[in-house]
Amino acid sequence: MKLELGYVQIKDIVFGNESKISNGVLTVDKAPIEALAKEDDRIKSVTIDIAKPGESVRITPVKDVIEPRCKVEGDCDIFPGTIGSVKMAGFGKTHVCKGMAVVTAGKIVGFQEGIIDMKGPGADYTPFSKLLNLVCVFEPVDGLKQHDYEEAVRFAGFKIAKYIGELSKDVKPDSTETFEVCDFKENMEKFKGLPRVGYVHMLQSQGLLHDTYVYGVDAKKILPTLMYPTEVFDGAIVSGNCVSACDKNPTYVHMNNPVVVDLFKHHGKEINFCAHIITNENVYLADKQRSSNFTAKLCEMLALDAVIITEEGFGNPDADLIMNCTKIEKKGIKTVLVTDEYAGRDGGSQSLADADPLGNACVTGGNANEVVVLPKLDKVIGTLDYVNKIAGGNENSMRPDGTIEIEIQAITGATSEVGFNKLTATY
Amino acid sequence: MKYIIITNNPLVKEKYVDKEVEFSDVSYQEILQSVKNKIALGHKILTHPLSGSVKPKETPYKSIMISKERASVDLESIDIIENAIITASKFVERRDKWTPRVLEDFKLVDFTLIDSAMGSVS
Repeated sequence: MKLELGYVQIKDIVFGNESKISNGVLTVDKAPIEALAKEDDRIKSVTIDIAKPGESVRITPVKDVIEPRCKVEGDCDIFPGTIGSVKMAGFGKTHVCKGMAVVTAGKIVGFQEGIIDMKGPGADYTPFSKLLNLVCVFEPVDGLKQHDYEEAVRFAGFKIAKYIGELSKDVKPDSTETFEVCDFKENMEKFKGLPRVGYVHMLQSQGLLHDTYVYGVDAKKILPTLMYPTEVFDGAIVSGNCVSACDKNPTYVHMNNPVVVDLFKHHGKEINFCAHIITNENVYLADKQRSSNFTAKLCEMLALDAVIITEEGFGNPDADLIMNCTKIEKKGIKTVLVTDEYAGRDGGSQSLADADPLGNACVTGGNANEVVVLPKLDKVIGTLDYVNKIAGGNENSMRPDGTIEIEIQAITGATSEVGFNKLTATY
Repeated sequence: MKYIIITNNPLVKEKYVDKEVEFSDVSYQEILQSVKNKIALGHKILTHPLSGSVKPKETPYKSIMISKERASVDLESIDIIENAIITASKFVERRDKWTPRVLEDFKLVDFTLIDSAMGSVS
């Protein structure tokens, strides 16, 4: 079974009277996008803007970043179970609008959404400053509760990304890449002798506004299960997470999960990448124990030699990370953990809320408490009303000269715990 | 399982009138400490004290579920609460006054976190 990704490189975005992709230029007619947003009567209005790399633009508060894609061949629609029908993803052909994203913004929870700077030092900390961003700022109807606002913006973002993605359907991709997966028996025979490597993918699931959806199902309600690793490329996992800007996985990151992409690169050569296991990070301790037991059991049943475990979030998820690590290690399976750190402003404090000597191979995505000063930029898409209040900011964050002193935890994607950024440390 | 919610969040008290809630108007750190004292008396911790990616000392509110029943001291609970107290102490205290809107948001997020555990209590 295989999935071919066809990359349609987007070189510029402009507004016009007819939405289309021609010679790498995406022309966007605002009217159908506004209509899509307003299909949901919880949305009062949407403001659509374009932010390009290098422009003096700050986008905040950012909710999600989504890559427009389109199914060209295969059973499912993009974002299956979420806005597409519940059919299996991960095979056939999918077109990808590369080099761009739909960014959704809105003041859903006043203190937790992130910042994307398109220029200056802040831009270096976010992977999304390198993209052409079609930014949609959503205003809710009066009196709308946060969780309804979040849901409305989440769905509007996917519909808009799908609309843009479909413009690429008849465009010849600039390049293609094929990912092949096989069933258990064929995998055992074909890659005999190679170390069996799995990916334990922890999904944020602590509660309303901290959620992830798998084929439309709230991940807190799942037991750990197996995916074909290609399924994420069709949007089988999407973000509903509004908190922890620096280390949450926006939908764009789920669709481009770098652990999956890199394991595929080595698959069939040095390793046999034979399992993508998803699990959750619930707040109830018995749920944590049950999920980590099941995750370790799946690793054992699949006779894995090693796994990479990635986390999403901080604090409570550190407990899940360590439970997964220790239980899998005790089965005789090697683990490598990918996380980030809250090691204090000087980097000298303990990095995680939990630790164990068995977690002896760890990759960090950076220290979220690191402080940066962001210069004043010419244009703000969204609002700066919350900069003093967002995580990583304080009452002095907004300085009189317009610069912002802030911890990098406020920057979207700065310390990605799946490694979708450049920050790390070597010991 | 019968449980008690230890909280300093007025919204939790307001929403859970039919549940056993011990509300006190104290700090985040004092809530952790009070849960530690309860564990020493034999209660078991049922939800993770650092739930939520809202960092300690950024939010003033914390709600933690513990067992109503008491048994011998649960070492895992002790471990979890002590680690949480150490972790929380690392964060820089926010001394500025939150606006009412932000306080409402913090109350809501803390409530939704504890509420997400409700589906799991058997």
